[in-house]
Amino acid sequence: MRNGEIHIRDAGISYRLYREKVSTLKEAVVNRFRHLRSVEMFWALRHVSLDIQPGEAIALVGHNGSGKSTLLKTIAGVLQPSEGEVLVQGRISPMIELGAGFDAELSGRDNIFLNGALLGFSRKQMEAKFDRIVEFSELADFIDMPIKNYSSGMYARLGFAIAQDVEPDILIVDEVLAVGDERFQEKCKARIRDFRSAGVTFCFVSHHLDAAKELCPRAAVLHHGRLAFDGPIDQSWERYRELERGPVPGPQIEAG
Amino acid sequence: MTELAERAAPAAALPPGTRSPIGDLLRYRQLVAMLVVRELKVRYKRSVFGLLWTMLNPLLLMVVYTIVFATIMRSPQKNFAIFLLSGLLPWLFFSTALLQGLTSILTNQELIRKVRLPQAVFPLSVVGSNLVNFSLSLLPLLLLMAVLGQPFTPALLFLPVGMLILTVFTSGVTLLFSTFTVFFRDVRHLTEVLLQMLLYLSPVLYDLQMLGDRGEWWFRAFRLFLRLNPISYLLPLIRDPVYYGRLPSLTTVGVASLESVVMAAVAFAVFHRLAPRHIHYL
Repeated sequence: MRNGEIHIRDAGISYRLYREKVSTLKEAVVNRFRHLRSVEMFWALRHVSLDIQPGEAIALVGHNGSGKSTLLKTIAGVLQPSEGEVLVQGRISPMIELGAGFDAELSGRDNIFLNGALLGFSRKQMEAKFDRIVEFSELADFIDMPIKNYSSGMYARLGFAIAQDVEPDILIVDEVLAVGDERFQEKCKARIRDFRSAGVTFCFVSHHLDAAKELCPRAAVLHHGRLAFDGPIDQSWERYRELERGPVPGPQIEAG
Repeated sequence: MTELAERAAPAAALPPGTRSPIGDLLRYRQLVAMLVVRELKVRYKRSVFGLLWTMLNPLLLMVVYTIVFATIMRSPQKNFAIFLLSGLLPWLFFSTALLQGLTSILTNQELIRKVRLPQAVFPLSVVGSNLVNFSLSLLPLLLLMAVLGQPFTPALLFLPVGMLILTVFTSGVTLLFSTFTVFFRDVRHLTEVLLQMLLYLSPVLYDLQMLGDRGEWWFRAFRLFLRLNPISYLLPLIRDPVYYGRLPSLTTVGVASLESVVMAAVAFAVFHRLAPRHIHYL
């Protein structure tokens, strides 16, 4: 596999329903007998196959709860598939949530290093990036201030500034561009276009056709955990609208 | 983009998943160090004495125990404060790290849901920050030794080895209990109770030699328990050099090393197996 390649073959992710979730010893003992056979599973995602080539940009489209985030988390390696296989090659910059792992008590400076370490970078590597990150975030004056005093826009700016500097092969963006003012949003989009032309694979979740069209020629439509469409973005939106109008099937609960 | 091409991904850019679990963890050792620093920074933020509290704590403890045992209860041991602290400080390291560490997966769940990283870094960083505290708390102990005229012997040079063995053991237990806590929240309360009991069932406030010999069955059962208790072999690693001014016996060091390595290996294997399932139970 080449760097930046994503290969998903018949993948499924199941969550145990709350009833089955064991949290105390007593429940565990009781459930040993009660739920021995019927474990109820909720498939957030099932029978999904997708091949994404290095440098390709794909938008993931679907209603709330369609499995978009589950799919992104699986690509990011946070979730393991319950069945099928998910192969991802290369460094992933997950902008699933900007500033995940920030510690509010620490300064912006400390958080840059902490966040870098969370993404697997050494202190030395982060020192080389530090000035660029601060410059991109435009937070030089506030960098030694505890980030609990930051506004939510500043918070997101710092998060994006770190995430854009991790030399990714795969960029995962979960509608984070909605934060920050318009000028900063434009800056982020320009940065993403840079990545695109550098051959970085790009996965984007969006509910807005315009934003998605601007960045991705291909789209995959998810509907109740199944892949309903995979192809050019214009047609995908028609399919998405069509599905939205159609009857909504109940949640897929299967006895396993 | 030439600018991007120049910043070619470094060797560390391999995805974590393609490495062995141990290599994965090693790659994140700087994260562990950073989490340790963060923990210490946040803990002592806005406190005037900061890290000094780590040393003041055992000092105050010492005063209390010395008054209680040496003056009120008239303990026969010479320099009883040192005897007590040389057992109490390693015990506090073990029990505090365990109690703090076993909830560390739960308290970091926001991160675990969003970033792919070896989850063992969280319990291990708690052990790390407690090791810093433990090391610092040894300074007032050494000070007290000087004040009370307790002899400093070359055996004290064994302390780093003893602390290492104790840390390996503590890391193992903490890893194991932190993953159990994810599945069964009772583990935390259970551990609290067990540690309370274990404090008295381990040679912390007393010593095997102080027990003497008695024929009753319950006393023999108690002695047998002490013999089987892994803690019994760990505490002398600190107390022997500090209080008795001698190296711990070869048997003690051997058993302590073996049980620590086995504990850590088993714990790491179990943790590695269960970690992917944590996210469903958080």
